[in-house]
Amino acid sequence: MLNTEVKNMKDMKNTVIETKDLWKKYRGRAAVENLNLNISKGEIYGFLGPNGAGKTTTIRMLLGLITPTSGSIEIFGQDLRKNKLQILRKIGSLVESPSYYGHLSAVDNLEVIRRILDVSKSRIPEVLDIVSLTGEEKRPVKGFSLGMKQRLGIAAALLGSPELLILDEPTNGLDPSGIQEIRSLIKRLPLEQGITVLVSSHLLSEIEQMADTVGIIRQGQLIYQDTITNLQQQAAGEMRLHVSDPIVALNLAGHCGYDGALREDKLIFSRMNDARVALLVKELVENGHSVYRVEEHRQSLEDFFLQVIGGGEA
Amino acid sequence: MMVWRALSADWLKIRGRGLWFLVFLGPLGLVAMQGLNFGLRYDYLTKQYSADLWGGLLSNLSDFVPVALYLGGTLVCSLIANIEHQTSSWKQLLALPISRTSVFMAKLLLCLLLVAFSCLLLSAGAVGLGLALGFKRELIPYADVFRIGLLSYLAALPVIVLQLWLSLSFRNQTFPVALGLTLSLTSLFAMFLAEWIPLSWPYLVWGTPHHVLYSSGGLLLGLLVLLPGIVHFARKDVE
Repeated sequence: MLNTEVKNMKDMKNTVIETKDLWKKYRGRAAVENLNLNISKGEIYGFLGPNGAGKTTTIRMLLGLITPTSGSIEIFGQDLRKNKLQILRKIGSLVESPSYYGHLSAVDNLEVIRRILDVSKSRIPEVLDIVSLTGEEKRPVKGFSLGMKQRLGIAAALLGSPELLILDEPTNGLDPSGIQEIRSLIKRLPLEQGITVLVSSHLLSEIEQMADTVGIIRQGQLIYQDTITNLQQQAAGEMRLHVSDPIVALNLAGHCGYDGALREDKLIFSRMNDARVALLVKELVENGHSVYRVEEHRQSLEDFFLQVIGGGEA
Repeated sequence: MMVWRALSADWLKIRGRGLWFLVFLGPLGLVAMQGLNFGLRYDYLTKQYSADLWGGLLSNLSDFVPVALYLGGTLVCSLIANIEHQTSSWKQLLALPISRTSVFMAKLLLCLLLVAFSCLLLSAGAVGLGLALGFKRELIPYADVFRIGLLSYLAALPVIVLQLWLSLSFRNQTFPVALGLTLSLTSLFAMFLAEWIPLSWPYLVWGTPHHVLYSSGGLLLGLLVLLPGIVHFARKDVE
């Protein structure tokens, strides 16, 4: 029910990336299977999944680096196969480990890309400033720390003033302060520059702290796609009631407006506030039921994530 | 033009990668070799070539031009390709709004420019050596001097294009470089090869009346190799 609401909202908003039944097979083995991504303008979309789930393969397809076995990719409403260069002009990307020319300085690395993009020279100090590399621009990049290289990679991605930023595991291998820096940088971009961001990670905590919408991929299949708020709600947990006569009690609860279920002789309700719990218990007791136990079962988002990627059914 | 944008970016990347060193080393090495040859056997050789001293020098020099072209082409292609392979820059470069054909053509042009520069350097070196050996300035055969390197250039195109294609395709440069070395060394025995074998064409352009035939043959075959090279590069998956 909520899913369709979200979908309708997305249709009204501008869709930036839409894939339809996307497949990539390597020697008969599917790396990406029937993938339907839907990413809206101005949002941070968290692409979540364990290593080897197909995140990078998907991202490479979105950037035209590899060709899908079947299915279609539309970006900015255009077919990627037909308008690849036009689309890529509006995308900045950082795929896995940073790419850089170690023998060149940070400025020269950006200059190489600037010459291809054909943008104004003044963009170089601008993007260096955005990623806080000003002052380091003359040093050869091979002497940079991983965090600095990664920030240079983001600077390179921003050079062409993209409308869509695709970042594959941008915080991988960074120390906590580096992760923090990249994260706050990514969160700033949609607000300040109106950029849509697709960011992938294998860490739920990463995505949870950055993304508005999350897509979870497992063994090449997208098994969950919804807003982070809904994900948190789904993972919020449940109330369990032990009562003397569960079937009758469930019926009664239903009459009183409590939508519940029966599992292992326990009544299961979605989470509710204290007042509603008290009212339910009072109702049950007044109708002659013995309430043995009222339990709140909390599930962390991490548990939920593991359950989703482990079990397959969200 | 997208090719020019890619070329100007590539031009920046080759700084400090040993390419310029190689471009100078090749022709200067050839000139030094002949300096040694003529220096050690000065009386014998000047007597042998007394009718045409400059011609004698150029013909000695020209014997080694094809192998130098093959060897130089192989190494230049490999070094250029390795700039992208080394820090896996392909995924960044090819996700930019530029066609893969332009990327390929820019690298080919860069390679051809560098090799052409070597050829001109060889011409300059030949003049310098001749003058140092006391050959008469007014007898310099400028047309031949200018052609010494460039004449074999077109005929060597098929191998250079093939080497670029292989170097760009293989992350590990062992195979392309080994193949290039093998071809270069085999070409030293060009006189034993049948003339339809392209490897011998750079030798055949020098001192035969058919140099137009072998040059245009080289250009044609080079373009024939270029076609599948570009198609493959444009379609391949970038991992």
